Amino acid sequence: MASISFRNVTKIYDGAKTPVVPNLDLEIADKEFVILVGPSGCGKSTTLRMIAGLESISSGELYIGDKLVNKVPPKDRDIAMVFQNYALYPHMSVYDNIAFGLKLRKMDKDEIDKRVHEAAKILDLDHLLQRKPKALSGGQRQRVALGRAMVRNPAVFLLDEPLSNLDAKLRTAMRSEITRLHRRLDTTFVYVTHDQTEAMTMGDRICVMKDGIIQQFNTPQVLYDTPDNLFVAGFIGSPQMNFLDAEIAEEGGNMYAVVRGEAEDKLLIPAAKREALKPYVGKTVTLGIRPEHFMTEEKLNADNALTVKVDFREMLGSEYNFYLYVGENKIIMRVPSHEKMPEGDVIKVPVNLALMHFFDKETEKAIVH
Amino acid sequence: MKMRKGPFAILMIIAIIIAVYTLFPFFMVVLNSFKKASNIVASPVTTAGASFGQLKANLSAVVGNSNFNFWAAFGTSAVITVVSLVLLALFGGMAAWVICRNKTKWSTMIYMTFIASMIIPFQVVMLALISTFRDVGNFIDIKMLQSIPGIVFAYCGFGGAMTVFILTGFIKGIPYELEEAAAIDGCSPEGTFFRVIFPLLKPVIVTVTILNGMWIWNDYLLPSLMLGQNGPVKTLPVAVQAFVGSYVKQWDLILTAALLAILPMIIIFIVAQKQIMNGMVEGAIK
Repeated sequence: MASISFRNVTKIYDGAKTPVVPNLDLEIADKEFVILVGPSGCGKSTTLRMIAGLESISSGELYIGDKLVNKVPPKDRDIAMVFQNYALYPHMSVYDNIAFGLKLRKMDKDEIDKRVHEAAKILDLDHLLQRKPKALSGGQRQRVALGRAMVRNPAVFLLDEPLSNLDAKLRTAMRSEITRLHRRLDTTFVYVTHDQTEAMTMGDRICVMKDGIIQQFNTPQVLYDTPDNLFVAGFIGSPQMNFLDAEIAEEGGNMYAVVRGEAEDKLLIPAAKREALKPYVGKTVTLGIRPEHFMTEEKLNADNALTVKVDFREMLGSEYNFYLYVGENKIIMRVPSHEKMPEGDVIKVPVNLALMHFFDKETEKAIVH
Repeated sequence: MKMRKGPFAILMIIAIIIAVYTLFPFFMVVLNSFKKASNIVASPVTTAGASFGQLKANLSAVVGNSNFNFWAAFGTSAVITVVSLVLLALFGGMAAWVICRNKTKWSTMIYMTFIASMIIPFQVVMLALISTFRDVGNFIDIKMLQSIPGIVFAYCGFGGAMTVFILTGFIKGIPYELEEAAAIDGCSPEGTFFRVIFPLLKPVIVTVTILNGMWIWNDYLLPSLMLGQNGPVKTLPVAVQAFVGSYVKQWDLILTAALLAILPMIIIFIVAQKQIMNGMVEGAIK
């Protein structure tokens, strides 16, 4: 069991001018399930591979437990890794694939046998042990890869986009299987993905990265409710948060966010948020509204409504996604499916400002949630 | 895709012509090893005078010939071929793996050197090769000429380029993650090569081994230069030369010996046919 600690770690590839990961400080607690998430090229895989020892560290210190591992080869780090394309040895049977790491560690034959069968049972692979990876389905291969990592009882479990090669249905199933595995093994998991759904559903904490820099590192709930900046706000949540320009105006003791689109809509800002927005009076800020936060309360008064033009709608079964225009801006609204709104019409949709986010237009940092 | 009948028939005819053209020398060898020397000279392409009895007589004349020493030559050929092939597969695989995975200016240069050496005809270097081998042999005090280690060394050199070339192409298709997984599982670099990479090379090594094997087994020029016509060690193709005199050519014995020399290759090919095809196909789509 081990914690992981990045202390001012920089990774710069040979010949590259800018580092992929500049000055990373990251503390992952023992037995925690941490998700590294971000768009491709954000340095999340590099970070994971540094933990694995597959990438060298250009500067800074990396600790696993209380051991400095900068120069420790992968095999001595007490880690196991699951790769995106499974990386099963094609010439070995499932049994040998799972047992390989144990055999190399010269473990007793009976003990190997015991562990392999234990893992196979947990992962429902018992009947496949003699097969070659070629004869397995994608989901089965993924489970073999998990089994190979499991039997080693590693202190740290690293997973590099393990579900991205699976179809949607299997992905959902494997998601819960991995979460269950984490509870069962009770060890540190670091999981890389670009899929925000995986991040939200699986992690104890999520580390959102962009250009090698941590944007926010917190629980899924905190990330969803109070994103630190525009990037995190846009990344977490699906469909993603809508952003609109709004001018902050004071009028007769009240504060409004003025959105100019199909019409000029004045949205009353709740008292709790006014203090933080004081310095922005007369300025334009970015207003963030999650698609699911339209019409959340009982129909609010028409004062707090956004004038929109309905473009088209998407049926999702229990809900509709409405694609709307506010002036030039396209926004998405998610509402229960009994709502009726004809396409092409200009209508008013009530919004709940208590759930809205305000961001500084220059720094993109959150002002108030 | 289904081909239209007309062009298909034409291609078929061309294929048959090429097949006949290729097989004709083989056919001549087989046919004439059933005949007496006089019949061969009189009518080489007909079956006149061919009989199983004559084949038997020819075979025993070849195998029992005191000048020829069939079994010694056969053994020499087998040893040289097998050892060369094993070394080529092993060192070729190692070299290809390192060249493929260790991308530096140097590795690229070494790879280019391998490829460049493929276009140099053997005849250009053969005389220089012999004197170099003699000098090197004298210097390191290991007999390089008229010795099996010497010629095996030469075959590893001449066969290395193509072997590395083909294996490199194949290794490029092996996902690098396998090696990373092996490193995490606890493999040393050598362990990774022998436990993970080398077993995966099996199909393409079969292909390379067939190509090199046919060449080394049948080669005449290199052994005739390095081992000499009258040296202590002779390969089969060189030994057959015993039947070729300045004035008299014992065609019956030459062709029968040739048949004996071809046979092992044919047997191997028939036995390993499935493996060979698999190797070529797997290599192609991987």
